[in-house]
Amino acid sequence: MKLLIVEDEQELADNVSSYLSREGTVCETAYSFQEAEDRLLSFEYDIVLLDIMLPDGNGLNILKVLKQIRPETGVLIISAKNALDDKVNGLELGADDYLTKPFHLPELNARLNAIYRRRKFQGQKTIEFQDIVINPETHDVTVCDKPLVLTLKEYELLLFFVTNKNRVLTKQSIAEHLWGDNVDFLDSFDFVYQHIKNLRKKITAEGGADNIKTIYGLGYKLSES
Amino acid sequence: MNLITKTTLIYLFAVLVILSVGGVLTYYGVENEVKRETDFDLRFHFRQLSKALEEGIPASILLDDRVHISEVSGLSTPQDTIPVYSDTLAQHPYLPRQEMQRKVVGVKEVKGKFYRIQVMDVFIESDDIYEGVVQAMTRFFLFLGGALLLLSFLIARFLFRPFQKTLEKIRTFDLKKDAPLQLTKTSTREFRQLNAFVEQMVDKARRDYRSVKEFSENASHEMQTPLAIARGKLELLLETENLDTEQTRLIQSAQQSLGKLSKLGEALALLTKIDNKEFATQAEVDFSKIVKNCLVNFEDLAQLKNLEFKKQIEEHVQLRIDPVLGDILVSNLVKNTIRHNIEGGWIEVSLTGDQLVICNTGAAPKVQPDQLFERFQKGAGSNKSLGLGLAIVKKICEVNNYKIDYQFADGVHLISVHF
Repeated sequence: MKLLIVEDEQELADNVSSYLSREGTVCETAYSFQEAEDRLLSFEYDIVLLDIMLPDGNGLNILKVLKQIRPETGVLIISAKNALDDKVNGLELGADDYLTKPFHLPELNARLNAIYRRRKFQGQKTIEFQDIVINPETHDVTVCDKPLVLTLKEYELLLFFVTNKNRVLTKQSIAEHLWGDNVDFLDSFDFVYQHIKNLRKKITAEGGADNIKTIYGLGYKLSES
Repeated sequence: MNLITKTTLIYLFAVLVILSVGGVLTYYGVENEVKRETDFDLRFHFRQLSKALEEGIPASILLDDRVHISEVSGLSTPQDTIPVYSDTLAQHPYLPRQEMQRKVVGVKEVKGKFYRIQVMDVFIESDDIYEGVVQAMTRFFLFLGGALLLLSFLIARFLFRPFQKTLEKIRTFDLKKDAPLQLTKTSTREFRQLNAFVEQMVDKARRDYRSVKEFSENASHEMQTPLAIARGKLELLLETENLDTEQTRLIQSAQQSLGKLSKLGEALALLTKIDNKEFATQAEVDFSKIVKNCLVNFEDLAQLKNLEFKKQIEEHVQLRIDPVLGDILVSNLVKNTIRHNIEGGWIEVSLTGDQLVICNTGAAPKVQPDQLFERFQKGAGSNKSLGLGLAIVKKICEVNNYKIDYQFADGVHLISVHF
């Protein structure tokens, strides 16, 4: 996946590129409106990560230009504003998704992957992790070729783990992924535990391996055995 | 007591004092004058009598009830005595009582005989003068008082009208409405100065208020980027190899604080936004749908906490509320019912055309019910919450003119929102 990060905060851009580079995502960074425009005119990217508030212009204008010259490029907007205006405007202009600062890097990764799958494979491609196969189009999951019946939250949880395999996921980031902004209380951590327990049970019941490791006091990690 | 009434009363009091002093002075003045006139009259009468005696008219003819002439014998001094004036009590000529009279007594020598002549006259009595003065002063006072009251009424009504208009404008002025204060023009210099001063002050207050609002909104946005950076750095740190438990615990704890800080910023920004009327509420929305969508998430969470979740949602309840605010309103309320619930408790949400009622089991609140809706008041909960949820609920109810009520009885919390 080739990604252009349009973000004037260098440290934030660095965070994203260090995090994503590990999985072989190619990240390039534009620190200003001007730079972003230049790069988009010269190169092709799979996805553009776009900060709306840039010192020399509104990111939404980049979005407009991009949709004219390369409409197939995916766009994920990041903004400090959770103002609904920005969200609606961005999505109307053709952005694929919207993420509010401060975001969790696994969350960003999951969103980027979702966009990438939709854009590149129209969601047709299945996601595989060892003996687990997920079809993002139909939400069907199989373990060792046997269908796995999951609730919506369990499905989302599994997908989140698989997209962020081999990464540490804090309970906080999982909770926010599953319940969004509504969950700002730490009780939700017990809920995360409950869901993971159920998910593990269902996977092992079908003969799958329990690859979700608990990292004490911190969170969980799906690692390849 | 208003200014005009006060000044009027002070005027009246001053007039009363002045009239009293004036009355005393008038009384003595009149009394002296009357005495002088009476004495003058008596002297004239005395001289006439003397003259008559000299002309040989017998004393017996000259006598009447005011005049008394007697021959005095054995006086050695051949000259006339100087007449002496004095007050005396004597029988009133017409009234059957003793009355204060003025009397002159003198001795006159006529052809070697000495006559003692005494003339008396009733003069206006002191209590008559007193009565007259008091009556005049009272009438004057009443007349002046009436005039003052009428005048003060007219002044209050017409002269002070610009002042009252200004007061009314100030009273109804709302800093949050972002409309300038426009005061009525007046030709009175003092009021003009007052209006100019008030307008200046209000302008300054509006500028300050606006900049504070902008500041708090910008601040809460600006802090999200550094927070995002810090959060990212910690996540990258988690990715490094060989972290021990203590290190991960520290990172986790730092992450939680960052999360809280970010939520705090968002909540404050939201409060400011609601204050700034950034949410237009013109359109009618299907509130039933909003409530249902909102509850989906929470049913899941309630189930995980073994809470019974009951709901009675009337279909197609139409409300004029911004959908985002509607969602926040419901989720903040329901969130609390889960957070402050007890093991094996229940939650009941019911929506009808005119109210939303949310009941739940839970421990008694630690803060006073009326403070529950203040910012940073944390109930029977925890330091896990921000203490802004209900403040936001209150603000949303305020801008939409909803009435919110809270009750706690028999281990059941009840919050109702009347549309």
